[in-house]
Amino acid sequence: MEHVEETILEFDGIVKKYKTRAFLFGARGQDVVALNEINIKITRGEIFGLVGESGSGKTTAGRLIVRLEEPERGKIYLDGNEITGLKGKISKDYSRKVQMIFQDPYQSLNPQLSVYDTISEPLIIHKIGNGKARENVVLQTMKSVGLSPPHDFAHRFPHQLSGGQRQRIAIARAMVLNPEFVVADEPTSMLDASMSAQIFNILLDMRKQFNVTILFITHSLAAARYLCERIAVMYRGNLMETGPADDVLKNPKHPYTQALIDALPKFGNSRDVNRYDTLLRSERVPSEHIGCPFFLRCSCADQIKCSHEKPPLMRLGDSHSVACFYAEP
Amino acid sequence: MALLVVDNLSVGYQGQKGYLQALEGISFSLEAGKSLGFVGESGCGKTTLGMAVMRLMPSNGFIRNGRIIFDGEDLLEKTDEEMRRIRWQKIAMIFQSAMNALNPVHRVCNQIVEAIVTHSPLIDKKEAYEQVRDLFQLVGLPENRIRDYPHQYSGGMKQRAIIAMALACNPQLIIADEPTTALDVIVQDQILDEIKNIQTELNISVIYISHDISIVADVCHHIGVMYAGQLVEYGAREEVFNNPMHPYTRALLSSYPTLTGEKSHLMPIPGEAPNLINPPSGCRFSDRCAEARETCRRNHSVWLELAPTHKVLCHQCGKNCGQ
Repeated sequence: MEHVEETILEFDGIVKKYKTRAFLFGARGQDVVALNEINIKITRGEIFGLVGESGSGKTTAGRLIVRLEEPERGKIYLDGNEITGLKGKISKDYSRKVQMIFQDPYQSLNPQLSVYDTISEPLIIHKIGNGKARENVVLQTMKSVGLSPPHDFAHRFPHQLSGGQRQRIAIARAMVLNPEFVVADEPTSMLDASMSAQIFNILLDMRKQFNVTILFITHSLAAARYLCERIAVMYRGNLMETGPADDVLKNPKHPYTQALIDALPKFGNSRDVNRYDTLLRSERVPSEHIGCPFFLRCSCADQIKCSHEKPPLMRLGDSHSVACFYAEP
Repeated sequence: MALLVVDNLSVGYQGQKGYLQALEGISFSLEAGKSLGFVGESGCGKTTLGMAVMRLMPSNGFIRNGRIIFDGEDLLEKTDEEMRRIRWQKIAMIFQSAMNALNPVHRVCNQIVEAIVTHSPLIDKKEAYEQVRDLFQLVGLPENRIRDYPHQYSGGMKQRAIIAMALACNPQLIIADEPTTALDVIVQDQILDEIKNIQTELNISVIYISHDISIVADVCHHIGVMYAGQLVEYGAREEVFNNPMHPYTRALLSSYPTLTGEKSHLMPIPGEAPNLINPPSGCRFSDRCAEARETCRRNHSVWLELAPTHKVLCHQCGKNCGQ
């Protein structure tokens, strides 16, 4: 994979705001900034991890890629072609190339469609193949996600299946179109540990088999470490740190990443890991200026600089970048 | 003397398809001031265990046999009225989804006051309100939010309010059923810390129920691993994590990604948990176990003591040790 580093997907200064509804009395509608000037480049064939707490904007980023949302500002490119504001046939072609695996397999599958119908639906929508060819593709895809023998599952309905099996159907449905890019939005957050491991291994296998690029959205740093080559850590819509997964997790530079690692339950041989203690026990009083997004909770913050100025994403190493004034290489 | 002794507890549910053995032959004991964690996949009976100790079974659930001895008294022999007095006064529970455990149309303080007044009739509302103030301080909630409604709270704050409510009547035992499942890692860490501090401060025993092995490993003195309605391994935290003996415990540990150490290939557990309406006659894990022999499938597994506090329910482990 190392030989050619070809960018497949690029976020260029993406801003996305949601408007909250104004109440009849009291507060006016305020904008919630879900993504604030995000720049990301994802290389072909890699698994890129987007890590953050809930509300950090990671799901919004995924939804922008599959065009469930349109950005406020900025551009998204796939293979060098701009995809924001596509219409008609080109838009449909694009949606064949980019697929999404949703978080909750208990809600993302249509309960009235059998497994076979669920997986073959995308082929019908995009008018790919005819009856027999479709059947082959569907059964082949089912086998590759571990639903084998496929004939046993083809005519079952979602309610007859376990969570892990449902999520495998969701993966098969995404993979059946042979997409170039897949957004996997917390695919294991509803599953047990042993089931999650199966899904992780299927994703790794998919990447190998179909040479697909995956954006893996997760709140679990450990899962990101297992799956991803590179990760980006987000906080309240801002990119805080990005780089190779091993680098970022072994040697985190941003106080927020350090706080996240501190907060993980320690067990087994990770008990003796030293703590960074970068999280303030009580939040600071917000100032009028918009500074570093993590200022209110950061113990390393400088009262003057950090509260007034938003630190830009700075390069530290080859590909390791951090948005903090005080990060040292 | 142990605060809670559960001896050979069996619980089942009567369903449309037959009788489901949710728990079979569970035995453990818990000292005062200690914490005990139960881990297992969904459907292994860990929530049922918590509910059985509280005797809060749904109408189709039955405690078939066994004894639950709390503070020297058998809870299964209590009448419903006596049990009502023990609940919350002596045993409190932190329920699974904090998001839904609070009543949305009452102020948070009034809900906790209600819990106090209901269970200790001697306290009037004013005193109870003062107690709520203290509780808020104890669990780290700002006092000026005391009269808020639940929807004004964040997820972590709701969870803290639930913990405050569990502590309201000074219980001796708290059962925490997935106390942090819906929370972010940083909030989760804070909540677990909070429970740990309160536990040592007030000398309360805690039973944690979780599917997340890392949480249990972080906070508990003793750990019980559950599989398909049975306890399969039980021991002190270090014993279970440094020297896991049951194949299921080992499989569970190796299917869990970690942040440090060697990045090894995760080994998912093949197959699915057995149907508990008609459980296999031998070891319940035998269908998914790489080390299973013919004897495992035929005979009931037996408990094997590896150390005074570490025991495991497996045929093969004994042989491996003997060699």
